Amino acid sequence: MRLLTAAILACGLIQAQDPAALKFPPLRPVHIPQVETYTMRNGIRVYLLENHELPLVNGLALVRTGGLFDPPDKIGLASLTGTVMRSGGTRAKSGDQLNEELENLAASVESSIGDTAGEVSFSTLSADTAQVLAAFRDVIREPAFRQDKIDLAKMQIRSAIARRNDNPNRIAAREFSRLIYGKNTPYGAQVEYDTVARITRDDLVAFYRRYYFPANVMLAVYGDFDSARMKAQLERLFGDWNDTQPPVPAFPKVERRPAPGVYVATKSDVDQTVFYVGQLGGELRDKDDPALEVMGDILGGGFASRLFKRVRTELGYAYDVSAGWSPAYNYPGTFEIAGSTKSASTADTLAVIRQEVRRLRTAEVSDEELRTAKETLLNSFVFNFDRPSKTLSRMLRYEYYGYPKDFIFQYQKAIAAVTKSDVLRVAKQYLDPAQFTIVAVGNPAEFGKPLASLGLPVHSLDITIPKPEAAEVTARRAIGR
Amino acid sequence: MRASRLRLCLLLCFPLLIAAQDLKQFEKKVTEFTLSNGMKFIVLERHDAPVVSFHTYVNAGSVDDPSGETGIAHMFEHMAFKGTETIGTKNYAAEKQALDAVEQAYTKLAAEQAKGARADAKRTAVLESGVKAAIAKAESYVDPNAYPRLIEENGGVGLNAQTGEDATEYFYSLPSNRVELWFSLESARFLHPVFREFYKERDVVREERRMRVDSDPGGQVMEALLATAFEAHPYRRPTSGWASDIMSLRVAAARAFFDKYYAPANITIAIAGDVNPRQMKLFAEKYFGRIPARPLPPPLHTVEPPQRGEKRVRIASDSQPLLEMVYKRPDQNDPDDPVFDVIAGILDSGRTGLLYTTLVRDRKIAMVAACDATFPGGRYPSLFLFYAAPSMGHTVEENEKALDEVIERLKTTKVDAVTLQRVKTKVRADLIRQLDSDSGMASQLTWYEVNYGDWRKMFTGLDDIDKVTADDVERVAQKYFVKEHRTVAYTVSKGEGK
Repeated sequence: MRLLTAAILACGLIQAQDPAALKFPPLRPVHIPQVETYTMRNGIRVYLLENHELPLVNGLALVRTGGLFDPPDKIGLASLTGTVMRSGGTRAKSGDQLNEELENLAASVESSIGDTAGEVSFSTLSADTAQVLAAFRDVIREPAFRQDKIDLAKMQIRSAIARRNDNPNRIAAREFSRLIYGKNTPYGAQVEYDTVARITRDDLVAFYRRYYFPANVMLAVYGDFDSARMKAQLERLFGDWNDTQPPVPAFPKVERRPAPGVYVATKSDVDQTVFYVGQLGGELRDKDDPALEVMGDILGGGFASRLFKRVRTELGYAYDVSAGWSPAYNYPGTFEIAGSTKSASTADTLAVIRQEVRRLRTAEVSDEELRTAKETLLNSFVFNFDRPSKTLSRMLRYEYYGYPKDFIFQYQKAIAAVTKSDVLRVAKQYLDPAQFTIVAVGNPAEFGKPLASLGLPVHSLDITIPKPEAAEVTARRAIGR
Repeated sequence: MRASRLRLCLLLCFPLLIAAQDLKQFEKKVTEFTLSNGMKFIVLERHDAPVVSFHTYVNAGSVDDPSGETGIAHMFEHMAFKGTETIGTKNYAAEKQALDAVEQAYTKLAAEQAKGARADAKRTAVLESGVKAAIAKAESYVDPNAYPRLIEENGGVGLNAQTGEDATEYFYSLPSNRVELWFSLESARFLHPVFREFYKERDVVREERRMRVDSDPGGQVMEALLATAFEAHPYRRPTSGWASDIMSLRVAAARAFFDKYYAPANITIAIAGDVNPRQMKLFAEKYFGRIPARPLPPPLHTVEPPQRGEKRVRIASDSQPLLEMVYKRPDQNDPDDPVFDVIAGILDSGRTGLLYTTLVRDRKIAMVAACDATFPGGRYPSLFLFYAAPSMGHTVEENEKALDEVIERLKTTKVDAVTLQRVKTKVRADLIRQLDSDSGMASQLTWYEVNYGDWRKMFTGLDDIDKVTADDVERVAQKYFVKEHRTVAYTVSKGEGK
């Protein structure tokens, strides 16, 4: 840390300085709030953080489930369950009644299920906490899954499927991910008209029952409340919840199955190519993750990165180009380089990207690059603590995914320790350009130089949306039963 | 560095509530001062964490682009990240000469190109290679991206800028021990802007337009909608600029725009976070006090003439259907402004808004149905926007009809007391939910200060909202939601659009 006596700074006698010449006083230490944790008799883990700055209370229930548990023929089940848990109302109230009741208070209760977790959250002015907590409890414990809202949610999913090829960026991100993880695996599976049509109300109820039970729930509350009273309220609302289920199994494993080559999806109504280049990545807890993230930052992390400098600043080929080693908490994430460029410079841009990856694997980065990347990560570290609620949500995530409590400080230390030879070593060890998957979405008629000039096999991607007719038949049959 | 078009409804219908004592409490934490050159500062103290957010609001946007130079406000915004006379250069004296040489070479080329079909191809080629060589020479002195790099390596987060119709904004956050870095960097770029790498950046801006408009059906519909709804007022032009204008932009135009519109008295800055206001004032005088006073830019005189009938525009597209419909409305300082915000709350708010309950939930004809009370800007008379994305198997026509019915209902049935109160409560709660974000508050403080003349409007505007009655809603809907004053833009399948 660069030092300067605070006295000089405060008295304001110095003249306007050039930015590079400035020295800064040390940063005052961050205050890390104490989160109170305990386990209810039925197994719910509770996390409380009182904070009276604003008259608000927010809460989150984190449930071990996820879209990764979708049956292959009913992809979309978890997501639909998460949506209708809230929209379909509770035993006591319809979804529409809940909407009115909550919105009259400017409050919310929301539910969703993502790939690796289910969430039910609430937010309310503190004066209305009791009423909103009651609705929160009902959504978690007594969702009614009314058929009309299942139909509405399915309609929304079908509409989203119909629109999924309208945006080239979304096509590229999606196809890249499906190629990397394998489209017939839980990680690469995609919702289709058929898979939605097969899902029935019984499926939703069964999915809910399997995963929503006390021992499978973590509950965090933050804001303007009295902890002793909040504990009593939670006990009243959740203490008599005694459903049990066998423990939820581990999430499926990712299989490493590279899909090398160039994959082109044609979209003839655009004059720009969106590209994704990369491979399978790693988990946040991996020993080499910090070095890999520094590597990713140097390659394409920000304004100072090599790709930004070459592709955007020097060549003017792209507005956006970025790269990063993006770990996930509990399965391998991706390493990806993404951006867009005018159709005619597609091949040239991809060639420059490949050159830069090669350079990263053959020579050490400069001292300056390493310093910039590390300082960027370390100096912005304080923003992990700029709001007390961030400490709470981080604690929750760490416990959910089985990370040590002090992981963020271990990570900070590990970043500080990364060397130039670490960066070169991990680039050589983990990046495998020969196996890279390259997805390009655009108008090949205007590419100018063909992508075959890259010297890689070029495949065309069929992004046609499978027709819903078959699905309609299935749906009718399901109703007939 | 994005050209933002759709400012979220929430942000605009922010007007306010919270009791008077809340404003009193809040005022204690706010310090205001104006430098002798006219630049205004608002400092909000929040000492919870050692961080600080900065927001620079320049009261000039794409409406101020000169004709034939659309996109210049946005282009200047990009140039503001290119560095200063000391940051981003290896040798400024030599670089400056090289940059001048680029302009001379480019001017010769432009003169030849201006001959159009009569331009001499050989001479053009020679001049082009001259420009290329001059640019290469100038670039040899550049330390690329040094300016943003310095911010990032000092722990800056949220670094960005946006150009809108009404304003251009620059913002980021820093650890609070580094406030002086912001003063030094921000004042330098608005003291002596350096137009380095201009023509490369122009290509980048052209790519940005390709991404946001040319390759996006929503962007195409929006652009056509505005160009049709407005005939004279510059709200009709895209913030990013027309493609051909972008590719003709010159350094001289960017400099002229800067000189005219970045006068210190046209800039308002908010600083929110762990800072000492007295020290902020000292720093402000020291760094921004260096900028000489310049006259405020002249006001925009063009007034949109009255619309004499409904206008419709169709965009041929292979994509799924989209519908946008706008009605003319007065500017944000009109007494009816809060009524439009309440109407937007009645129509589009959570799962109780009329658009959602009617088009999405009950009729299932739309995947999304939404509105924006003030679009695309608010400084000048603008538009009330309705937007619908038909759900699968449903059409633009069905959605237009349903929108008409919802609008008719506003004009003929008084809104009930519960709904009206719900909208007012939400506005109040939204403000409370914003209060713990340094960056959000810095942005809001500048916006209210510039657009309403006093940041306190963030709080006092809640009273204006509170006064809105069911009669007001009906009256304003009847007065402004008339077909003769609307424009409808939508997609049709290719082949149908002839």
